[in-house]
Amino acid sequence: MSNDVEERVVDEVEALKAILMDELIVRTNESGYPVAVETVVFPSTADDALQQYVCLTLVVELPSGYPDVAPVVSLRNPRGLDDSVLGRIDREAKEKCESYRGQAVIYELIELVKEHLTSSNLPSCQCAICLYGFREGDHFTKTQCYHYFHSHCLACHVTSSEKSYQEELDKLPAWQRSQHTLSPCQVLCPVCREPIQCDMNLLSSAAPPLEVENARQFELSDELRSLQRQMAALFSHQKRRGGIIDPEAEDSKLLLVTDTTEQEGDDEPPGPSLLLPPQQAFHHNSMTVSMGSSVPNRGDWRRGGRGGFRGRGSSSSHRNRHGRRHHQAAVTFR
Amino acid sequence: MTALPRRIIKETQRLMQEPVPGISAVPDESNARYFHVIVTGPEDSPFEGGLFKLELFLPEDYPMSAPKVRFITKIYHPNIDRLGRICLDILKDKWSPALQIRTVLLSIQALLSAPNPDDPLANDVAELWKVNEAEAIRNAKEWTRRYAMDN
Repeated sequence: MSNDVEERVVDEVEALKAILMDELIVRTNESGYPVAVETVVFPSTADDALQQYVCLTLVVELPSGYPDVAPVVSLRNPRGLDDSVLGRIDREAKEKCESYRGQAVIYELIELVKEHLTSSNLPSCQCAICLYGFREGDHFTKTQCYHYFHSHCLACHVTSSEKSYQEELDKLPAWQRSQHTLSPCQVLCPVCREPIQCDMNLLSSAAPPLEVENARQFELSDELRSLQRQMAALFSHQKRRGGIIDPEAEDSKLLLVTDTTEQEGDDEPPGPSLLLPPQQAFHHNSMTVSMGSSVPNRGDWRRGGRGGFRGRGSSSSHRNRHGRRHHQAAVTFR
Repeated sequence: MTALPRRIIKETQRLMQEPVPGISAVPDESNARYFHVIVTGPEDSPFEGGLFKLELFLPEDYPMSAPKVRFITKIYHPNIDRLGRICLDILKDKWSPALQIRTVLLSIQALLSAPNPDDPLANDVAELWKVNEAEAIRNAKEWTRRYAMDN
């Protein structure tokens, strides 16, 4: 790579720094030469952040040989944008890189993204709570973390968070409850779990989202019926092989804990004995739910349903009984 | 019974239209809040080749509270107890209404790939998993072959 080319790239990055100032992050290699730039792009709204409903992080990697070699563009952390808009921006950015081969293109890319964000400066994603889109006339809320919810849906989330907080509080012994060290209820963003501030008066006055009101009713299709038959067949197959958990039998095992000589015959699985002391077993009773009248209570497989879901003594969360955290789930949020 | 919330309808439709590989979930004929689920054992795990039946119930205030999920097929796993109950944070205090049936089932599948004996629900299984992992994995494979295989 000639010094001349290197100098052009350094100049281009310097010019960008002058325009974007601390909004531009430049990554350099060991010798201080820029290898990538990154900036969060917002729609043009005369710098009124309240009017900015969408944003994304544009990352431009500068391969050796840039600008004669096209840079690698990636669009990260999109907010308020659905996949079709992102796909369009991505496509046009790649075209731009091709047509600007040999010339400085980073500023052009930023402008391109900005134009798109300005023209789709209304969340085109779905509300993560009701899974329906935002329509003209919908009341919606943008969180500080740039996630969107119908105000009505977010109000339900806030109410529910406050309710569970209160329930947890009620479980504490009185002396702990009266302490002022308890942190107040903090509502978290449903998508990224950042703490959010909400004006409940405003939220709770919002009407339910329009699209939800107009949604089609669900009907059981032939495809579903056929899947149901397959599942029923698998159930009977596994049941014949002794592979289905029988909650009542498991419960009685707990009661027979001293009688360890009793075997289940050929069905006894390998490994250590399943018998546990009762107190240990009750530590596991974390899924304490009363399903009420909606419990399906006929048919064979539903025995599991009754056993697993019925109320089992006083309810408390798994964390309280175990005194430790739950297993971390591998969930990727959008 | 009150009308089914639109969100449940939408999730059910999406589960059919864009199924998650290795996971199927079908609502019950008489109760659309009750799902029959099959999760296939992940590759390179002791549960590979197994078809595990689970039941999933969406409570009245879903998605504000988590679905109730339980294994129906026997499984040898340190975070799943003899009654099929699952130790998973997102099913309890880490639930968020932005999670869905599909993300919950994916997390359960991920739990099969990554058993965590340090946070056990089935103490005997977890103990063996810690002191003699090879034997625990042999047990898990044997249970899978015995109870969860299709043949």
